[in-house]
Amino acid sequence: MSSQNKLGLLKRHEANGDLNRPLPGPMMRHAADLAADEAISPLDERVIAAASEAMEAGQTHYVDVPGIGPLREKIAAYLNESTGSACQAGNIIVTAGQQESRFLTIQKIGELYESIAVPDVVHPGARKALGVRQRQIVSLPADAEGRYLPTLAGLAAAVRGGCRLLYLESPSRLTGAAYSAAEVAEIGKILSDNNAAAIWDQGLAPWVDGACSSLAAQESAPARVAAIGETWPGQGLASWFIAYIAAPEDWAPTMQSQKQIMAICTATASQYAALEAGDLFAEARERQLAQLKRQRDALLDQARSRQLEVCGGGASNIIALKTVGGADGAVDRLRRAGYEAADGAHFGAANVIRLSVGSGTEAALEALS
Amino acid sequence: MSKKQDQGTNLLYRLIGEARTYDDVIVMGRGDPDFDTPAHIVAAAKEAMIHHHADHAPPEGLPALREAIAERVKRVNNIDVDPATEVVVTNGGQEALFLMVLAVIAPGDEMIVPEPNYNTYADSLAFAGGVKVEVQTWPNDAFRADPDLVRAAISERSRALLLVSPNNPAASVISPADTAELLDIASENDLMILSDEIYDLFVYDDFVHTSPAALPGGKERTLTLNALSKAYSMTGWRLGWIVGPADLMARVAELKAAISGGASVISQHAGIAALTGPQEPVEMMAEAYRKRRRLVLDALDAMGMKYGLPQGGQFVFADIGFTGLDSAEVAQRMLTEQHVLAYPGSAFSKDRKDYLRMTFLQPEDQLIEGLERMKTAMGSIMAGQ
Repeated sequence: MSSQNKLGLLKRHEANGDLNRPLPGPMMRHAADLAADEAISPLDERVIAAASEAMEAGQTHYVDVPGIGPLREKIAAYLNESTGSACQAGNIIVTAGQQESRFLTIQKIGELYESIAVPDVVHPGARKALGVRQRQIVSLPADAEGRYLPTLAGLAAAVRGGCRLLYLESPSRLTGAAYSAAEVAEIGKILSDNNAAAIWDQGLAPWVDGACSSLAAQESAPARVAAIGETWPGQGLASWFIAYIAAPEDWAPTMQSQKQIMAICTATASQYAALEAGDLFAEARERQLAQLKRQRDALLDQARSRQLEVCGGGASNIIALKTVGGADGAVDRLRRAGYEAADGAHFGAANVIRLSVGSGTEAALEALS
Repeated sequence: MSKKQDQGTNLLYRLIGEARTYDDVIVMGRGDPDFDTPAHIVAAAKEAMIHHHADHAPPEGLPALREAIAERVKRVNNIDVDPATEVVVTNGGQEALFLMVLAVIAPGDEMIVPEPNYNTYADSLAFAGGVKVEVQTWPNDAFRADPDLVRAAISERSRALLLVSPNNPAASVISPADTAELLDIASENDLMILSDEIYDLFVYDDFVHTSPAALPGGKERTLTLNALSKAYSMTGWRLGWIVGPADLMARVAELKAAISGGASVISQHAGIAALTGPQEPVEMMAEAYRKRRRLVLDALDAMGMKYGLPQGGQFVFADIGFTGLDSAEVAQRMLTEQHVLAYPGSAFSKDRKDYLRMTFLQPEDQLIEGLERMKTAMGSIMAGQ
């Protein structure tokens, strides 16, 4: 017997384009998988030792909803040092990965505002999180001319049009392009002048050579900002699903409450692993960044020599390329050659593909050309 | 925190926070077993850190874990599922619960909920914009979800029926006959069934747990939730699952991807070890809970307290109406004066201000001490002090 009730809810879900948007994998499955959000990274034996020690000591039970205290302190200290923000442990919520950070901020901070402005080009996870419970969405145009970042004029127009909450990525999850320090300061001013707020995805900032300004650290024009990002990129923890939200203390309770409702806490072993990985991240980041940058520069030269059009971007772990006739054709061509690329159409840019920088990228560029 | 905010889940977490400030606290509130995760599961997690730390973790879970779950639900629950399309791994039973509600409830839809019930269902329903339609259950009927009352609660807006068996907090088990009748009611009225079976391995005396999805016509309209937290003492690993019909599970997988992307691969490898490895630790823990349950019931009998006989689960839901105080106040006084944490019934249902939920998830000596302190607190309350 068919169920009209079930057919109806299936129809409702299937019609939800945002919810059904494909999501890149959290970590490359193999060298030819260049579609994932993070490259394969080794896991240091000190991380294994720290997590093992915690488990053997009986840390296998529920922990505090917002995360274990030492990890929250470490994340706060890292953000203060790397971005100039002024976080304390009470500002930090440890999440079960970057997608949970997106979901909690978009849905729960979003509840405090009538609408949310979202870039036309954004990580599909943001659209997916919006799709769970529809909100009024204001479009922030983003195109090739503007490096696929919303323009400041576009942000200002949205805010002046009455939308008081922006969702922004810097660097862009598609191209790695980041707002300059002056642009970030201007965004802060737009927000503070209009009593607006932002969710700021700064997860790719560690892979930008040089300073990458955070909206969460604007002293001249302080605005209400929740910053989100992975904990810690490049340390082999992508498949352990651990990330952070750094938010004003009066925003934290609503997200903590929701976190409790949907997960109680983040996996304990992941948190103790991240606690140790935080130290290693501080030690290894410069070396990893330099290596990635060298790799990426060589790949950019190769791409240009093959007449491939590269999208401007500052994050050293990804390359975005413009394609002729739609990204799906390029993605299919790469797939036939054995490579996976992230389809820009899933981000909102139909003529762009994204490749992770890794050992397989050079051959993928060759296949593409 | 305002009085309005200091209720339900917020109230429970405020009490947990206060409990942490007492060095000698005895926790009979939270559903977190005192046993550590069995050693072979920890060993498997350590092994996974070395060899599988970068495994691809799709939102629906590792294939090997989904196979282990499919085997488990067949063996324990007699539910047939295809591991490739009918299983989604979740961040604990809590995320499974949230996903189940989101999967079947749209704004304005009604869900029929036998009360009292786990407080998070109300929170999840509120997030989805759904409406909770309560069907009351009472201790003199062993907190039975009466099919006639369920039938009477159905309206044109009804979309789902929640069945939690063994129940949290009331510890009742839905009988096989009632399960079959409730499934018939769901079928006749085209309702989806959300079946929370997280305590299915803890059923006492001669009571029997039955999965609605195992009955003819049940699977196509039932999402079944379970987790490793309670059975394997793995609360910190955050690992659970939903099984159900493939068409609906495809939507659950999309929701899972939207909410959290996936579950930790290390937890998932630990989960494989739990489900496929030796089951003696589960038996040992179940036996301990049986003994502790008897111990708690004997102590409550000695105090003259009434309760619904716990047929399953890890709780006793006791009537404290004789105190004349709201359960939130009684729980607060027990915590502040005697450093014993029990959960007020009002956190689970607005109509259960006369109840306390007590777990038997502490070692026997702690339980005995906790019950003694509770007796002292009750004496103080009754003396009007």
